[in-house]
Amino acid sequence: MTTSEAGAQPALPRGRADRPAPRGHALAGKRADEPPAPGPLAASTRRAGGWRGAATPWLFQAPVLVSLAVWVYGPLVFTGVLSLLDWDLISPHPEFVGLTNYRQLVEDPEFGNAVLRTGLYVLALLPFATVVPMALAIMLWKRPGRASGIYRSLLFVPVMLAPVANALSWRFVLDPLGGIVNEVFGGLGLPQRDWLGDPSFALPAITLITAAKFVAMHLLLYGAALAAVDRRSLDAARVDGATEWEITRHLVVPQLARTTALLAFLCAVFAGQWTFTNIVVLTDGGPDGTTDNVYFRLFQYAFTFFDAGTGAAAAMMIVAGLALAFAVVSLPRRRRATG
Amino acid sequence: MTSHVKGQDQMRQRTRWGTRLVPALLAVAGLLAAAACGGTTDDEKPVAATGAATPNADKPVTISFLSYNYGTPGIGGKGTQSLLDAFHKAHPNITVKPQGVAVADVLTRLRTDTAAGSPPDVAQIGWSKMAEAVRTLPIVPVQKAAPADEWSTHVAGLSPSIMKAVTQDGVVAAMPYTMSIPVMYINADLFKAAGLDPANPPKTLDDVRAAGLAIKKATGKEGAYVAVVDSGKSDYLTQSVIASAGGSLVGSDGSVTLDQKPAVDALTAVAGLTSSGAMPKVDTTAAVASFTKGEMGMLVGSTALLVSAQQAAEGHFTLTTAPFPQVKAGTPARPTYSGAGLAILAKDPDRQRAAWEFIKFITSDAGFEIITSQIGYLPLRQTIETKLADTPTVKLLKPALDQLATVTPYTSFPSDHANEAVVTLQDDAVEPIVLRGADPAGTLSSVADKIRKLVG
Repeated sequence: MTTSEAGAQPALPRGRADRPAPRGHALAGKRADEPPAPGPLAASTRRAGGWRGAATPWLFQAPVLVSLAVWVYGPLVFTGVLSLLDWDLISPHPEFVGLTNYRQLVEDPEFGNAVLRTGLYVLALLPFATVVPMALAIMLWKRPGRASGIYRSLLFVPVMLAPVANALSWRFVLDPLGGIVNEVFGGLGLPQRDWLGDPSFALPAITLITAAKFVAMHLLLYGAALAAVDRRSLDAARVDGATEWEITRHLVVPQLARTTALLAFLCAVFAGQWTFTNIVVLTDGGPDGTTDNVYFRLFQYAFTFFDAGTGAAAAMMIVAGLALAFAVVSLPRRRRATG
Repeated sequence: MTSHVKGQDQMRQRTRWGTRLVPALLAVAGLLAAAACGGTTDDEKPVAATGAATPNADKPVTISFLSYNYGTPGIGGKGTQSLLDAFHKAHPNITVKPQGVAVADVLTRLRTDTAAGSPPDVAQIGWSKMAEAVRTLPIVPVQKAAPADEWSTHVAGLSPSIMKAVTQDGVVAAMPYTMSIPVMYINADLFKAAGLDPANPPKTLDDVRAAGLAIKKATGKEGAYVAVVDSGKSDYLTQSVIASAGGSLVGSDGSVTLDQKPAVDALTAVAGLTSSGAMPKVDTTAAVASFTKGEMGMLVGSTALLVSAQQAAEGHFTLTTAPFPQVKAGTPARPTYSGAGLAILAKDPDRQRAAWEFIKFITSDAGFEIITSQIGYLPLRQTIETKLADTPTVKLLKPALDQLATVTPYTSFPSDHANEAVVTLQDDAVEPIVLRGADPAGTLSSVADKIRKLVG
């Protein structure tokens, strides 16, 4: 079909139909409102038989679907069933107890404390997931160079360390009798403390240890977002007399809003998991339950006290809580999109 | 039929496929998960121990050995490897595959391995977790796994008091292996610097407090530490101080008695050390590190620390030891034991036989020579105690060995939740009372109620 022939045709609706169809395409030489001729795939499907044709897409999707079913939905269903049982992991005859495990969890002050502490972790880690890495990323972005690269690399070291090794190194740093931090505090005439053993300081200590591990990763994500910022608009603002603070506040930060929202959401969802290793290695949820969280409590129920049913019930409540949080975050956005 | 209609039919067909396929996959996944996580069935229970296992002893067998000492970088790891090497040399037909595990995770690992159908054939289990392990895991009592004549010959040379202490209902479920009792380590240099005589060590907790305060005042170092706040969540030292005050965690009728006066007195006495400043408010890990650096005058802890303390002291300070102190003047100290026993979980007779041969060897004279000289645990055989009597290690163990005859049996809460009760006791009572000044009577009372509900 040539351009002149296309021009001789009646006006076509706007969109894909107003573009000339490629040579050999089913639409070539036909009107757009005519039903398309069966393509090669449809022809082969017809030849292969109906059920085979229908099965083909499922075969392509099978690896992912099977993987999801085996590793995600299957265990989820299994966990749901397990939450209704009284089982110690090895007894051959688990006992069906209905919703008893859920009722016990709701009535258990330790689980309530763990939920509260998880919330505190989210709040305490939020600035380290957003404001701190954003500020660092902007500073490094505004002053590119070798020193900036070295600084970024140094910040990134904790990200690459194995979580348990990283946590253990903090045990030495915060050792109450001769740890580096207390030595420095002592040298400055400040009071020395058992940072991980004092109920007033243990949660802030776990928060800082956790933040030190992921802040550089978030810095990297902010760096990627900053790469998309048009520096010419910043130059224009400077020409107009804007200060660096005004440029950062009104031009740069707004363009990082999507990244900030994503990282804040990730923090809300994963703060409990991020702190888990540090709790296990450094405090065991203590002192007096001040560093507990729902994931650690779940682990305690299931793998320290071998109450698999209660552990599963705690897992289902965590899933429900996360699903609720996701719905709260995503529903207004969907309404805006559809409204 | 137009191609559009045909396409819709195909879509409907695919949708039907989808509605059938996805639930089917979920069901299969659920079954797979259930199978993977399923418990042992009645059919999978270990073969009943015969007491006279007669499999072919020369048949090559491979057994697994779960150990919290194996693979650790310190003396425990090296000593365990020496035991394995010596056993392999003596029994080339039996291959032992060791598996390392963190001490606090032994029970978790055993439960999950058993749930997965592959428990180790032999496991080193701490005494604080032994009662729950014996109640809940498919453990074959070691006494029943051994041929009767071999058993009596083998245990004849072992410490009678320890064998008596670990016998429950007339049967030894786990063989005493790396055993220890609490002892007082002394930094003799700090003692002398404070004008104290290390040859005349403190005999009571009051003496410990006075000496600790003197050391702190004279040297600026930490005074003393009684390791009741155990980092591994064991209550052996808690039991030792309570027993030394005339009490117990559990009464002879199985009732929880940890809120009675002797227990309150015992923990009040230990808390007095911290409140006076003689003892730092830290956990055992930090205290041990401080002592081995020469920064602390006294440490009351397990004899298992001995060899590492010796190595740390070499060239830095003079290390001596003294008996476990009395909690009350005039009331004899009655420490209990800690450490671990060896349990058999092997299912078939060949592996049970090999497991017994392994246990027999590493708790023989040759085994205890390695255990004592390289790791520092008690020589439970008199022959080894005599043979090594002139070695620095056994000389330092002497105060503990002298107390071995009066050792108090380790007490377990009578429940499948024994370990949870111990963790509750340590986390909710001992640590707050000793490190944070919680009221001993009130705290022990509320924790006792909690444990009563737990153990039923």
